Amino acid sequence: MSTLLAAAGSLEPAARSYLSPTGQEIVFLLVGVLVLGAAVVSVTTRQLVHAALWLVVALGGLAVEFLLLTAEFVAWVQVLVYLGSVVVLVLFGLMLTRAPIGRSPDADSGNRPAALAVGAASAATLVTLVVDAFRSSWIDLSGPAGTTRLTGEFLFSHWVLPFEALSVLLLAALVGAIVLSRAKGDGTKPRPGNLRTVLTKTKER
Amino acid sequence: MHLAYPAVLAVLLFSVGVYGVLARRNVILVLMSVELMLNAVNLNLVAFDVWLRDTLHAGQALTLFTITVAAAEIGLGLAIVLLVYRTRRTAAVDRVTALGDRHEADDPADAAEEKEQAAA
Amino acid sequence: MIATHALAAAGGNSPSIPAPHIEYGQLSPMLVVFGAALVGILAEAFLPRRLRAATQLGISLAGLVGGFVAVVVLAAQGHASTRAGLLAMGSVAIDGPALFLQGVILLTAVLAVLTYAEGRLEPRINGHRIDAFAAQAAAVPGGEQEREATREGLRTTEIYPLTLFAVGGMLLFPASNDLLTMFVALEVLSLPLYLMCAIARRRRLLSQEAAVKYFLLGAFASAFFLFGTALLYGYAGSLRLGEIADVVSGVAPVTPALAVTTQNDALLLIGLAMVSVGLLFKVGAVPFHSWTPDVYQGAPTPVTGFMAAATKTAAFGALLRLFYVAFPGIRWDWRPVMWGVAILTMVVGSILAVTQQDVKRLLAYSSIAHAGFILTGLIATDRRGVAAVLFYLLAYSFVTLGAFAVVTLVRDSKGEATHLSSWAGLGRRSPLLAAVFALFLLAFAGIPLTSGFTGKFAVFQAAAGGGAAPLVIVGVLSSAIAAFFYIRVIVLMFFSDPQPSGPAVAVPSALTATTIAFGVLVTLGLGLLPQYFLDLATKASIFIR
Repeated sequence: MSTLLAAAGSLEPAARSYLSPTGQEIVFLLVGVLVLGAAVVSVTTRQLVHAALWLVVALGGLAVEFLLLTAEFVAWVQVLVYLGSVVVLVLFGLMLTRAPIGRSPDADSGNRPAALAVGAASAATLVTLVVDAFRSSWIDLSGPAGTTRLTGEFLFSHWVLPFEALSVLLLAALVGAIVLSRAKGDGTKPRPGNLRTVLTKTKER
Repeated sequence: MHLAYPAVLAVLLFSVGVYGVLARRNVILVLMSVELMLNAVNLNLVAFDVWLRDTLHAGQALTLFTITVAAAEIGLGLAIVLLVYRTRRTAAVDRVTALGDRHEADDPADAAEEKEQAAA
Repeated sequence: MIATHALAAAGGNSPSIPAPHIEYGQLSPMLVVFGAALVGILAEAFLPRRLRAATQLGISLAGLVGGFVAVVVLAAQGHASTRAGLLAMGSVAIDGPALFLQGVILLTAVLAVLTYAEGRLEPRINGHRIDAFAAQAAAVPGGEQEREATREGLRTTEIYPLTLFAVGGMLLFPASNDLLTMFVALEVLSLPLYLMCAIARRRRLLSQEAAVKYFLLGAFASAFFLFGTALLYGYAGSLRLGEIADVVSGVAPVTPALAVTTQNDALLLIGLAMVSVGLLFKVGAVPFHSWTPDVYQGAPTPVTGFMAAATKTAAFGALLRLFYVAFPGIRWDWRPVMWGVAILTMVVGSILAVTQQDVKRLLAYSSIAHAGFILTGLIATDRRGVAAVLFYLLAYSFVTLGAFAVVTLVRDSKGEATHLSSWAGLGRRSPLLAAVFALFLLAFAGIPLTSGFTGKFAVFQAAAGGGAAPLVIVGVLSSAIAAFFYIRVIVLMFFSDPQPSGPAVAVPSALTATTIAFGVLVTLGLGLLPQYFLDLATKASIFIR
């Protein structure tokens, strides 16, 4: 049934005007502007901690976009993994490398103009590309596309092998991070190696 | 919903991420920009998945995998950054330049490609 | 109530998920290696420290050799030819190229692991053997903690399970039949490598720097790979290589959603370009090569040898599968671009190699030039091209591994003496070692009677047969440039006077000696009697779809 709906949706693109947006589209666009703005601030601000906080806004906004696209499970994973752990890790990283709280004049390297040129060129090319390719495509949002049940079914029926490989990857990353960070390896009790080394060094300075 | 909206948003986010990777000096800020690029990919994938009504849901599966990989990557990345920070007291990419063809800095092929050295 | 009903309807009313069909037997090479890695991690957790190094070596060798035996058995059962097929719900393809490359990767990994375990190159400290890896990776270089760790004889034995993880990813990479599995395999092989770069015992700052560069550029490149994947997904509506190929060549039934995008070739080409960027980065092709010399120089030399041989093999396997399975339909579009990349790679690699003063950087640039030669075989787009690339990878892996193993033996008080000036007159001090290194250099240069010559001949022949004669001319010319420098190194070793304070040549244990001997054997064997292996590569040259 859903394929029929999708077919119907895609077959009448002319009927969908960009000038009379649906409610979902309006919300999507507003959140999209917020996400984009937060992302831009995040890569341009000179205050390192603010950059991480704007990243939270951008990634959280994306979770809302996923919800609007009916990909529920992905949205909640986005919230849990990105907002719950990645950003926290980033903030820890900034603190442990003694990132200044205020403005730091050397947040950007000397090749900003070149970076701007590359970014603008890629944006121009890719926007032209996707607008040209997808301007008449219509997403049919009726019916669930990403419930937890559905996600479980497709993950464990079609994508089992990469899923298992990914679990191995996580183990490897875990072991690797421990190798690089555990300061005293006598195995009796774990010691907060990073933190202590960094703090004592900071005092020495 | 028009597919063009998520697609254009994803492309713009990706470009913002590319700019951030190239322009930032602090390794952690570079990593954050890479995360933006990966998220742009995710938005694209989810939008295509829902649009295509893909029975295998390859787009959402890859999105979930990307999120996981990004988390692993950033954990490992921060371990490496802290390791370097402990020995060098810096997290700036363009100060980490002991390696390289320095006696032949006029070599354009390398100078252009190695962004770490570009600012030096 | 309505919501639950809708959920049940969407889930297809079945109470449980149908179990996926997994062919454990055909996946056994990967499963054995991953299993050995897990055993290694358990050993790391529960064994007393003094037993770990030997046990880890044993586990790794058992896993890798077991994997190789599994590959041979699968090939003997015909899974490389008649019984080749798609496995694990279509995620993995086990066919000739996949099994051939898995065999090469496993063999090179066995030899690389032997060099990891070498403990005789430096005098014992406090009765503890010293290997190439940091006593404690987290300790500050030159600090009290590091001295203490060295006195206690700590070793980073986690390197063995990490290598096994990387090998597992490399086995999956050339066998992955969809872009999703390819991405996961790419990350599984990359993440352990990033941090294996960071744990050299000597010159730790350089080592850590290598890890940072490799990691940042690698993460950037895999983001490009992913975005390309997303665009291709939007174009073809599938991540399976075979289904993409059907859409590209217009065989697939056109769904309404795809009717719009398949008209748009720009989407396909830009998607393919971005995916290729990610893969070309891994093989070290120009202009995505900038990490190669730095990482090869900074990483611990045994790891460099492993990376140079096995990563390149795995990444070329994936590149071959991508272009030969998914995109043969638009070869007239991608071939000109790959021509450019191949020419740039050969020329830049060869010319920059000439200016190097460090042996490891020299070998790194040489590996870039060789990536260019292999790309010429890829461009042939026929069976002979595949066979030539497979053979070249086999030949190149063992030469590289042997050359880096030789580099670990030439040492002074600060560790390995990698500056070329200190290699002057090595032929007078240690004729055997210098002769072996000279043999490897001659193989890199492609001198007849070595494996390098056969490999180059095969790829150039395939390229010329595929209508890429100008490419062959550029290839021969850049081989000549590179040969000039290899021969200069040989002259330096044999015909100049040794420096009074020059390096000493360490006497290796049987471990490194085995690796070097195997390298010599394969180099000469594939040079003198290549026919069997050429036939094997030809038999293995058909991709399943």
